[in-house]
Amino acid sequence: MAENQPVNKHRMNKALSSFAARLRLAMARQAHHLDFDVLALQLYALQFQLNPAYGKICAARGLTPGTVEDWTQIPFVPAKAFKELEFSSIPPDERTAVFHSSGTLEQKPSRHFHCAESLALYEASLWPWFAANCRLPLAAPGCAEPGCQLLILAPPPEQAPHSSLVHMFETVRQNLGAAGWRSGRSVFCGRLESHGAWGLDFESVLALLKPDLPSPIPLPQLILGTAFSFVHLLDFLAENQLRLKLPRGSRVMETGGYKNRSRFLPKAELHALITQQLGVGRENILCEYGMSELSSQAYESDVQAPGSRLQPRAFRFPPWARGQIISPETGREVADGETGLIRIFDLANVYSVAAIQTEDLGIRRGDGFELIGRAQRAEPRGCSLMTA
Amino acid sequence: MTTPKHFLMLPNYFLADLPPEATLSPAMITAACEALRRNREKYLAPRKLEDIVQLLCEVAGGWLEPDNKYRRLALDSFRSAGLPAQLAGDPLAPAGAAPGAPGPGFSAATVARGLDDFFRRFTPENFQALLAQDLGDAAAATRVAVAEPSGHPPQAARHFWHGPQLLVHVAAGNIPNPALMSLTLGLLTRSAQFMKCASGASLLPRLFAHSLYEADHKLGACLELAEWRGGNEAVEAAVFAGADCVTATGSDAVLAAIRARVPSHVRFLGYGQRVSFGYVAREALSDEAVAELVARLADDVVAWDQNGCLSPHVIYVEERGAVESDRFAQLLAVELMNREAAEPRGPISMEESAAIASRRSIYETLAVHRGDVKIWQSQNSTAWTVVFEHEGRFHFSPLNRFIFVKPVPDLAAVFPGVDELKGKISTVAVAARPERLKDVAAQLARWGVTRICPPGQMQNPPLTWRHDGRPALGDLVTWTDFEFEPQINTDDHR
Repeated sequence: MAENQPVNKHRMNKALSSFAARLRLAMARQAHHLDFDVLALQLYALQFQLNPAYGKICAARGLTPGTVEDWTQIPFVPAKAFKELEFSSIPPDERTAVFHSSGTLEQKPSRHFHCAESLALYEASLWPWFAANCRLPLAAPGCAEPGCQLLILAPPPEQAPHSSLVHMFETVRQNLGAAGWRSGRSVFCGRLESHGAWGLDFESVLALLKPDLPSPIPLPQLILGTAFSFVHLLDFLAENQLRLKLPRGSRVMETGGYKNRSRFLPKAELHALITQQLGVGRENILCEYGMSELSSQAYESDVQAPGSRLQPRAFRFPPWARGQIISPETGREVADGETGLIRIFDLANVYSVAAIQTEDLGIRRGDGFELIGRAQRAEPRGCSLMTA
Repeated sequence: MTTPKHFLMLPNYFLADLPPEATLSPAMITAACEALRRNREKYLAPRKLEDIVQLLCEVAGGWLEPDNKYRRLALDSFRSAGLPAQLAGDPLAPAGAAPGAPGPGFSAATVARGLDDFFRRFTPENFQALLAQDLGDAAAATRVAVAEPSGHPPQAARHFWHGPQLLVHVAAGNIPNPALMSLTLGLLTRSAQFMKCASGASLLPRLFAHSLYEADHKLGACLELAEWRGGNEAVEAAVFAGADCVTATGSDAVLAAIRARVPSHVRFLGYGQRVSFGYVAREALSDEAVAELVARLADDVVAWDQNGCLSPHVIYVEERGAVESDRFAQLLAVELMNREAAEPRGPISMEESAAIASRRSIYETLAVHRGDVKIWQSQNSTAWTVVFEHEGRFHFSPLNRFIFVKPVPDLAAVFPGVDELKGKISTVAVAARPERLKDVAAQLARWGVTRICPPGQMQNPPLTWRHDGRPALGDLVTWTDFEFEPQINTDDHR
């Protein structure tokens, strides 16, 4: 579509590249002092100009870079609109990857387009915040040398090229390797089933979690997966009456969302089962909140931002992204402790749109949020079909 | 928390009147069912049908009076501080309801209109029409003065009918009228009735039952209402074991679960998920007629805040009328805005509100990019929304006064868009000139629509309405065919 062509390819590349480079630098420095407000307005000015589908929406709302004074006024787009429109500043011939929203039932997935530079930014954004929240490096007890064995409950990248989550897991795998830690075999233990859903290769999982010849000082395990993959794993262990006790210091990261791929377990129940069947305590279970339309993730963990007062467990974004909880009735941010829709401003979304409105409900908790989940009517009031 | 004084005058009579801390046991339910059967035998079985009809009409007449105790209670409870009754700490809050259980929240004006529409249907003539339709000449033999539909003189009637001795209803909680109608039909079949109300939604059925009880204690003794969160298997097994017939309203999954647990000898009538839409023919879109048409369709969107199966999700509008389809959508938006002032939408849950906000933001975004998508909406609230789009596929509305208007070239263009919903469409409101109306209705009927009505009447079916295409009263009864030699005197049958 002509309207999706950037106005000036070269100028775009230059301006966005320079912004992306500055941001990556800040991320690498774990910049807690980064001037979010200034960067947000700068990025908005670029996206208004260089992302035609987005610029049109901003203009229609009468919110141009000249009139917006504060990052909270920057026009958002609904994540779901990525299904309908191409929100990208990357010219079609320079797009090297596209991430789709997950869910086997989706006829028309969201499309978040990427190029080498935007992927580099995605990777630069995800790693430090993951590492901080996971309290890396891990090390075997009494062992000074860091090391862990990574187990990924998802298909490998070649089987899931459009999954932003798998790309993230692969980035974590590569970064762990690059850190030169002592490591076991790091394996993607998921596989793509014939109907497109994600399954698990239980044999490989067991080979890693329950080796025939346990080493005297076993490496801590780092297990990454979706909530439904953990349900598959836990169900398998239960069916086979297996109860594991992973080495001390092991970590589990689960990313919410079931998408009807397994039975649904409330979070507390899932975590209790992980503790019971894998021997990983609550303090070592990490929850991630992310989506294909974003480049940064929020984590719920015991990690606190440096210098901040002790906060309750809540999902928090890295310093280069911010979440807001918005009242669906008024469109304004709710007060602390109140419920609303989660809106995210992600500076790392340089080449798409930084301000994303989700359909997830959350409760505002200090500088983070408690996740309630997708806004849907659990049991429709009465007898209407509310499947759409 | 304030307790309406007049409520304190109500006796603690039904299980649903018990305080929230009371828990129901299977033994209590079994005892209640036995008492219901005994009472029915004594008080209801011998009752003349015309007396029951008369009583129903009198009670309904009472509900239409502004000062009626039950009506005032109903309206007051929905008036509390913009919160659903049970969330506002209402004294009528259901026994055993989980705190914050979703329940219908409507404005008092919406409840008043819904009750008025419902109880105005309760006239002897309307009941006679229902009896004649569903029971035919057998109803005539009950001495209710009905026309002779079949031409048989009464003494030639060849059947007896009887209703279930104990009729059990599993009511849905979205809107109250269907539960009230279920109780009404059960009285006409002289059945003792046990109604399991949806959690958070027992108020109006209880008030209706109390009004019947007050009018006639003996008849009230044949009714029992209770409320619990569905899925209490022990209690539910006790109810089903005592039943001769079970009716249930709810989602397909809920119906399947109930059906599986009703003993096989018990008749099961399930009323599942249905959706409805409107159809406006171009000749109905004249400059003179459009205001009235818009007002009527707004009635349909506003009625019970669109929460019933009979409420429209979509209004299909034929293109090239004197008033174009997008102009029609705009007029409907203005009408909904005006209605909000007089008859505000009720409070809704966070999930419902979020569903509306999410849907709106998609269409706002699309509207900027596509000339064929338009959206009108209330400001600083989710009170009402009109989305206009050239996409013929039926869309589920998040309800609560969120309506799609979709232009179509003709009726044939509607069918592909609703194809997936075959068998799931209840009502279609049709606006067309009489000469075309019949043809449109015939096409809809052939396709499988079970009710076609004028705009403004979607949520207000007549007593004779065949629920999901089935005779609602007729399905409750069991017949005895009586074949006799002509010389036998049959004057005496009932």
